[in-house]
Amino acid sequence: MSLLGLSGPKLTLKHLSTILLMIISFFPPPSLSSVSRGVTGHPPDMDEGNDDNIYMDGDDDFGAETAKITSPGESITSARAFMRGHGTYVDSDEVIASVAGVIERVNKLITVRALRTRYSPEVGDLVIGRITEVQPRRWKVDANARQDAVLMLSSVNLPGGVQRRKLESDELQMRNFFQEGDLLVAEVQAFFADGAMSLHTRSLKYGKLRNGQLVSVPPILIRRLKSHFCSLPSGVDLILGLNGYIWISKHVRNNEKEGHEGFDAEAVYSNQNDDIDDATRTAIARVSNIIRVLASRSVPITDSIALEAYEWTVEQDVDVKDLLLEDVADALVAAVTKEPSEQW
Amino acid sequence: MAFKTLSKSEKSYIQASLQAQQPLRGDGRSLHQFRSVTLQTGVAPIANGSSLLNLGRSSDESIGGTEILAAAKLEVEDIGPASSGVEGGRIACVVSCSPAAYSYLPAAALDDLQHDYSTVLHAVFSHASLRPPSLGIIPGRKAWLLTLDLMVLSDAGNVYDALFMAARAALWDTHVPRTRAVEYRRGIGGKAKDDNDMDVDPESHSGLDTRSKPLATDFELEDSWDEGPVLGGRDAWPVCITLNLFPGLHFLDATTQEEAAAPIRLLLVYSFSAKSPAAALHGMHLLGVGNVDLAQVESLVKEGEKYALDIYTALNAKLKDEELRRTDKARLKFSSVR
Repeated sequence: MSLLGLSGPKLTLKHLSTILLMIISFFPPPSLSSVSRGVTGHPPDMDEGNDDNIYMDGDDDFGAETAKITSPGESITSARAFMRGHGTYVDSDEVIASVAGVIERVNKLITVRALRTRYSPEVGDLVIGRITEVQPRRWKVDANARQDAVLMLSSVNLPGGVQRRKLESDELQMRNFFQEGDLLVAEVQAFFADGAMSLHTRSLKYGKLRNGQLVSVPPILIRRLKSHFCSLPSGVDLILGLNGYIWISKHVRNNEKEGHEGFDAEAVYSNQNDDIDDATRTAIARVSNIIRVLASRSVPITDSIALEAYEWTVEQDVDVKDLLLEDVADALVAAVTKEPSEQW
Repeated sequence: MAFKTLSKSEKSYIQASLQAQQPLRGDGRSLHQFRSVTLQTGVAPIANGSSLLNLGRSSDESIGGTEILAAAKLEVEDIGPASSGVEGGRIACVVSCSPAAYSYLPAAALDDLQHDYSTVLHAVFSHASLRPPSLGIIPGRKAWLLTLDLMVLSDAGNVYDALFMAARAALWDTHVPRTRAVEYRRGIGGKAKDDNDMDVDPESHSGLDTRSKPLATDFELEDSWDEGPVLGGRDAWPVCITLNLFPGLHFLDATTQEEAAAPIRLLLVYSFSAKSPAAALHGMHLLGVGNVDLAQVESLVKEGEKYALDIYTALNAKLKDEELRRTDKARLKFSSVR
């Protein structure tokens, strides 16, 4: 019975009658128990034989290869046949996990990717970073990874045209572009030999962040999406950095972003916030709290979940600060996470 | 999550939100609202009193919030010119910061920070006006040294208030073993009482005897090390309230980001007692750049007293709860053994 509880479709009266009809037609003498089973769990078009499939469907979401999760101290395999990688150690001829995470295997090499860890970058990822240091011809950027990222002067958009050589005068006024503490959104361009990532902001989508606030979550909760820029109703923009930094800001229209001549350096590198009205500020605080709640309950954060959660809080008329109360937060997470089974 | 610096736009966003018509904070709290506090006492088994306090984390999370571990340990000290002991006992307060909480700080900066915290706490807790009555052992000879160690495990803002709350909880939880003075008497003629060379003085109230120096030289413990009556005067341990000041307004319990955006912080330390409703101001500390009018400080001190009283009442209720919880647990354990 617990298995049937996994998916709880909403059943209308019409469904109920079809189920009853079906059960009657399949099993001429319907016992009381089978009726109740049908009502609690079965989708209308499934008969008894498909019980196992409910389980299988759930597993398929993870891909063809099911992810195996392990915990510290758990023996994974024999050390004779396999080599130990990151997150494992060998004790008495056995490879044992040293962190909680997902087991990965490449040929003979066994590694465990930790669940709670720093961000491990990949080329093309969208990240949000904070400038920690200004160095000759480069900025050091904290991007929640093991090492600080590097943003070269040559990989930012310079004023006066997108395509132009950097000059000595640019080097001398690097703090006019980014200074210590500034937040920016960028893309991972390449890696250096020591594994540090190199960022670039050579797109109008990227650059300095303003008009909002930052929320930080464990990087594992951010999945790779089609677009990491999303806008919610009531004028809030959301940038989901794959490194776990999330920027929540006032909505900026696309044509405003570009400025008059394609690239407006003053607007891009400005430190001044626009005028933000109270309603937008409240909405930004609401989205921040939603993200905090979802992160505290380890719900993966995507644009659609954020949107759903936002609509739920508006529908239920939840006050912004009440979102952090335990029962409200639990209700929010329950409402958001049960959604997939309700779709049909 | 701790931030070294804020960008200019973040700072001005926070400041503008706070100074708007309807002040709004990053997490939707009102200006004078605290985050949730969780507290547990008796967490360190070998300390005489200990507490673990978290400010701003919900129970479902495993990380986050400002987390402080406080432990009080009693040691016996000799009193005299050669040693550092003080008549009637003394308290020493040390704050250390976990490097994991401040991973962005270099070691030297971390030392400075620890020193700042230690100085403020030590100045308040070791002051003679707060010294508990039960720290003396043998007048003129030996006394307890209470070492209060605090550890900042993570920092999500408002460390000072959290430190004081944790310290208060740990001291509340501290039990001082009962001692009995032991006296050696020379057997001179018939003056010696009986056949005993050694006499045990049941009550060591020899301070009344002004004619001669007390003869007690050593003591023995009546209780085992973690038993005994609670440290005296525990109602008086102070609470701290940090007022983050903006022109025209102040707010409480700032997060790390809000702390970075607020120019001035005023620390006010109050002590209350069960008998009189009036609070005693035990310390005041101004952090940050800028100046505050004296008249403004006066009104802030009055305001702060109200907030501090709220913290005091809530903390006392929680500490009594904790005591009940722990005695219940001990009783259950005992009855199950029997």
